[in-house]
Order: sequence, then structure tokens, then C-alpha cells
Amino acid sequence: MAYRRVVNLLPRGKEFVFGLWIHRFQKPQTVISQSHCGRTERTLHTSTPSMVKLLSVDELFARRSVQEHLKKMETEYSECLRAVSSSLPEEQCSEDELKTKRTKVSLLAPLVQSIRELDAKQKEIAETEMLLKDDDPALRELAELERESCVQDIQDLRQKILDLLIPEEDADLSDLVLEVTAGVGGQEAMLFTAEVFDMYQGFAQHHGWSFDILGQMTSDLGGLRNASASISGPQSYKIMKFEAGVHRVQRIPKTEKLGRMHTSTMTVAVLPQPTEISLTIHPKDLRIDTMRASGAGGQHVNTTDSAVRIVHLPTGVVAECQQERSQLKNKETAMKVLRAKLYSMKLEEETSKRYNQRKVQIGTRGRSEKIRTYHFPQNRITDHRIGMTVHDVQSFLLGEDLLDEMNSSLQEFSNQEALMELLEESSPEAS
Amino acid sequence: MWRRSLRAARRCLGCRSPGPQGMCSSHAVRTCSAPALPAGRITALQAVELWRRHFEERGVTEPHLSSQYIVAHLLRAKTIQSLDQERLTEFLSREETEQVWKLCTRRLSRMPVQYVIEEWDFRELTLKMRPPVFIPRPETEELVELVLADLQRKSGAADAQHTCLEVGCGSGAISLSLLKSLPQLKAVALDQSQAAVDLTTENALRLRLQDRLQIHHVDVMTDPEAVLSLCGPVSLLVSNPPYLFSEDMASLEPEVSRFEDHAALDGGEDGLNVIKHILTLAPQILSDHGRVYMEVDPRHPPLIRRWVEVNVEELQYVETRLDITGRPRFCILQKATAETGPQAGSGLRN
Repeated sequence: MAYRRVVNLLPRGKEFVFGLWIHRFQKPQTVISQSHCGRTERTLHTSTPSMVKLLSVDELFARRSVQEHLKKMETEYSECLRAVSSSLPEEQCSEDELKTKRTKVSLLAPLVQSIRELDAKQKEIAETEMLLKDDDPALRELAELERESCVQDIQDLRQKILDLLIPEEDADLSDLVLEVTAGVGGQEAMLFTAEVFDMYQGFAQHHGWSFDILGQMTSDLGGLRNASASISGPQSYKIMKFEAGVHRVQRIPKTEKLGRMHTSTMTVAVLPQPTEISLTIHPKDLRIDTMRASGAGGQHVNTTDSAVRIVHLPTGVVAECQQERSQLKNKETAMKVLRAKLYSMKLEEETSKRYNQRKVQIGTRGRSEKIRTYHFPQNRITDHRIGMTVHDVQSFLLGEDLLDEMNSSLQEFSNQEALMELLEESSPEAS
Repeated sequence: MWRRSLRAARRCLGCRSPGPQGMCSSHAVRTCSAPALPAGRITALQAVELWRRHFEERGVTEPHLSSQYIVAHLLRAKTIQSLDQERLTEFLSREETEQVWKLCTRRLSRMPVQYVIEEWDFRELTLKMRPPVFIPRPETEELVELVLADLQRKSGAADAQHTCLEVGCGSGAISLSLLKSLPQLKAVALDQSQAAVDLTTENALRLRLQDRLQIHHVDVMTDPEAVLSLCGPVSLLVSNPPYLFSEDMASLEPEVSRFEDHAALDGGEDGLNVIKHILTLAPQILSDHGRVYMEVDPRHPPLIRRWVEVNVEELQYVETRLDITGRPRFCILQKATAETGPQAGSGLRN
């Protein structure tokens, strides 16, 4: 619990000093596990953090590669701007080239403006530092105030520049379909699946997103074999994508009579929900199955079986729904799920090429990887991708602040990773 | 087919719930031998399972869905899937258990689930259902979809003032669904059965759509004059008329043949009796370019096209549309206007 408090006390956001932060809660964590339950089992230590180091904003800016990259962006911007605004035809730019350059200018403009503001602020701070040596104490005091505000502005600008550098994923703006599926562990895995599904329902509520259940298959003990829900709201996919993967639970299940601890798993899939435009499905590629397909249909038959199953013939992807009493509603839902699945496949194809060098596969849709462990006896949750541990499983499962905290860290790591990748791309010779 | 494996997987659970011991007491025989009320308490899931097995033994169609829908209804949900697990594994109260037994016993007599729980969904609406008024089928949801899509394509934004006539409204599903989707629409709904007229009125009131809907007790077959006097020119004529061939009436499941109004099903020897009446009246009711949208038997479209070409000059057969299973299920016809009668036009000019 103490560590949880430490985590909470730490500042969030811009001035987050990550390196320090990681050490603070990582170290005591290892101490705990040794003293507490060194004998219980080894599994705990498999979660030994991979010690991903998160750099602070200042550390990042101290890097040569960052500075070089910013300079490069500025030069590129100026060149494009010159090409676009020069009315001279001798430049011999094709219409297409001009168009690309124009887009580039508008894309880079906010970044370059921030870089320039940052330069200006840095000059300003140098000037105020001169005044700090002045004889007049009143003037010195004034200069001190001035300097403080400058430092703050510089921090803000640096953060803004980093945010602008991080590339947006195409799907980041979309809504999503969440799918949970019980994995290894029978009834216990299904019970845990239900708890995780509830957790995300809470998480959606916490963020003010809508959460519509599209379908679920229950088990006899009140667990879930699988379930899916449509989630929509600002940033929903951008945040939820970090939740995709295999979640592992370790505890003594309700179903266990001998008091032994079990390890079970469940899988979370997060599929971005495409807009109408981003994906076209041809009706001729679909086979729609309903109970009414056999027999005469129409007025001849009265059936309450309104389930609909749609098969996308070229890919064999299947979506089904029996959540509603109206067959038409079920068809609409199944279509929605099918679109999400097909879109996700398309994205996966595209992104697997782009991200294959990434070391920690955060945010990509690697579904087979174990990403997180919920350890009930030790009352902790560990995310294996960034080696972060928080305590209090019950609160975590509410899907509120603790999950949010874990999720924000994942986002920070992922952003840094994306940034590093970008820098490596732009200057392969630099570290 | 694809659901069968699921059911088989669940079947093995049965042994856990209290078996239907002593279900054939002499009193129960008359009510199709319902299983005795359990002595102890049971959960919702156990009730579903117990009745599923009983329905299956008694040859009731859709045994699992039937017991699921009835139990879900008593727990104030539409589907068992939308209930949370806690509720399903909680014990039912004595009254709830008695209700389950009462409603499931009705289903045992092959009463359709929709009548047992007295409601069903049609597109986005939940409608009251009552015997013997025809229970809307999923195909008719598609008919409404078709009308809406056509209107949207033709008039862009649905700003045009449309009026609609529905012949044979039953529970009111088509008219109410159209009114719900088109806030500008006004509709007239007719039925030859007083029970249907009453049920449509009740559903309209529940859905607060009564202001834009007129409902009349009229038989198109015997009183076409009344139809003409009741509504002015309309741009839409929609109908799901009785279209079964009389010879097929004998082969219907008991759910349909014992409980639903035969007048809403039996379309005569070739299933076209009412359809022909509607199509004969259509040109007098429709405004220029007004359209008829009708649900029919898959054997009907070519027959209707031929019959209209010969018998109803002012009506043009536009096209046949397929239902979700690929059967030719819907006919679209349009009132032919001046361009098909150029002689009449030139005659006026002289």
C-alpha cells in the first residue's frame, strides 16, 4: 500500500521525472517480493521488470539526436515554404510536388512555431540571467521572477514539441470494439474474464465513454466464455489499445477445494471501429446465416430465434450476434463487429511492417503476449511491458484511478518509444 | 446449424437442477403436464435449464430460446444475455418461480413466446402482442428498411411531406416503425380485424405516435369505397398482406395455425386474393409517382408482374427485392403517370 501512495504522490504530466520514478517504486518492489513470499513461488520473479528507462523531457532535449532532428524539421519547413510561396516558375516543381510541399508546410507549422518560441524563450532566459547579477536588489528580485516563469514556459514548450513529434496512429481517433475471451484455466478463467469485462465497463464510465454490450456467452458459474462491447468516446481507442493482450490471474479460485493457487489467463482484443469511409465491404462477399434460412420463412414461420451470423467469404472472418430480439438489430450489430474485425486485420498488416523493430511491443496488436499479471495473494498488479507494479487488486478492478495510472504510464512509454524510433530513423548514425 | 453445438455443450448440465419428478399428476394432464413446482428454491439459470429440457421432451419448438425468453422477461430483461450473472445465479422468489411456471405452461400448449410474454421487438420498437393478432416476422423489418432507404435516396433529406397508407396493419409494426423513423410522415392504417385495430391503437399510444396515425376498421376486400373515402392521395402504400397459399395452411406449425388470425395469413388458392384487391385500388389511392411496397411469397413476384401488366394499366412494376436469405420477397410498384399516356396529354392541348 505504501508504494501505491508513493506512486500517487509523484507528479504527473509534463515534469514527470521518469527515470527517478521508476527507481523509486521498482526497488522497494523487489525487496517486498523477497521478504514477503520468497518461498511461495518463482513466478513472481519472472515479472522482474525489463527496466525500460523512461527519460525526462530535459534528458530528451539534452540528446544530440533530438536537437538535430528539430533542426532538420526547421530546415525542411523553410525549404518547403520557400518552394510554395515562390511564384517563380523556374523552380520547375510539378503540381503534385507543390501539393505535397503545401501539406508539409501546414503539418510542420505548429511544430516549427513552437521551436521558434522555444528559441526565443531561451534567449530571454539568458538575458534575465545577466540581470540576476545586477546591483539593484529590486531588479534582481524581478529578474528572479522573470526567470522562473521562463523556466516554466520552456518546460511547457518542450513538452508540446515532443507531443507534436510523436506520430498519430491512423486509428487513434476511432472508437473501438472490445473483445474478452477466457483462456487457460476453465471456469476460473471465465470468472476472471467476467471481472475484467466489468473492469473495462467501469473504465469506460470513468472516462465518460459509452459502453454497449454486443454479445456475451456466459458460463454456468457466472463467468464469461467471451464477450464483446462497443466503446466510443474521446480518445477511447488511443487509451484502450494498451489493454490488448493476455492478462494473467494468480489466486486461489472459488472453485478450488484444496486451497491451491491457480494461474489462469484471459485475452483482451481491442479493435478500432472503422468509419464508413475507411473500409468498404462488398455485399456479394458476405454470407448471412439466420434460422429462417431453412424452411419457407415469411408468414409461414413464427420463430424467436433472431440470431444472425455473417461470414466474410474472402477472409473467412465471422461475426455473430444474438443479443437482441430484433433480427435486424442483430444483423446491424454483427455487421459492426465484422467491420471492426476486418479493419483490424487490415491495420495489423500495415502496422506490423512499420513497427517490427520495436523492442517493447506496446500499442501494437500483439495478442499472444502476456502483458499483465493480477496477483491476488500479494495484492498487486504488474505490467510486464514496462515492469510497473501497483497494489490493491480490488481497486484496480474497479477500472478507475489505478488502472488509469497504469494506462497513462504505458502511454508515456509508448510515446517515448515512438519518438526514439523516429529519431533513429532520421539519423541512423546517432545513438 | 451453427448454434447446435452450443446447445449440445450445455445439455450435459441438466443433472444438477432438480429433475421434473412427478410431473404427470392427474391434475396437470389437462394443462399439458407441466413439471411440478420445485419444493426448494431454484435459480433463474436452473429454471431455464429445467424448462428447456421439458419443452424438448414435449416437442415444443425452440425449447432453449423459449425458456430463456420467458425467464428473462420475468426478470425484466429482453434477453438472457443482457442479464448480469449475479441475477441469473440468484434464487428466484416464490412468486417469480410461480410466474415462470405459469408462463412456461402456456408455452407448453404451443402458444408463441411473443404471446406468452405479451410483447416483442420490431426494429427499434417494442410492441405489445396479443392473440390472435399476427406477430410481425423479421422479413417485415426488412420491408420497412427498404422503404426508408428508397425514400432517403429519392428525396435526399426526408424533408418531403409523405403520407402513407398501410393495408392490414396487425399490431401496427410497419406504420409505427415508419412514423418513428420519419418525423414528417403521416399515416393511415387499416385492418379488417377489430382486435388488430385495437392493438395498433394501443401500441401507437404507448409509443406516443398516435397524433400522426389514423387507424380504421375497414375491409379492403368488401369495402373499397370506404378506403377511398378515408384517405386522400398518398405517396406510399405499404402492406404485408395475407399471402400464404390456402393449401399451405394445413402444414403450418401449431404456433401459427392455432394462435394467429388465419385472415392475416391465408391469401386464397394462389395467395393473391388480397394482393390483387390492393393493387386494383392502388392507382386510385396513390399520388403521382406514388409507390407500393409489398411483402409477398417468393413464388409471387413473377405472377404479380404479369397480372399487373394485364389488369392494372396505371400501375408499373418497378422491381423485386430479395430478403436476407436471398428469396424474392418484396415487390415495388409505381403509379404510372402522364408519360405513359401521351395521347391523353396531347388530347388536352388540342
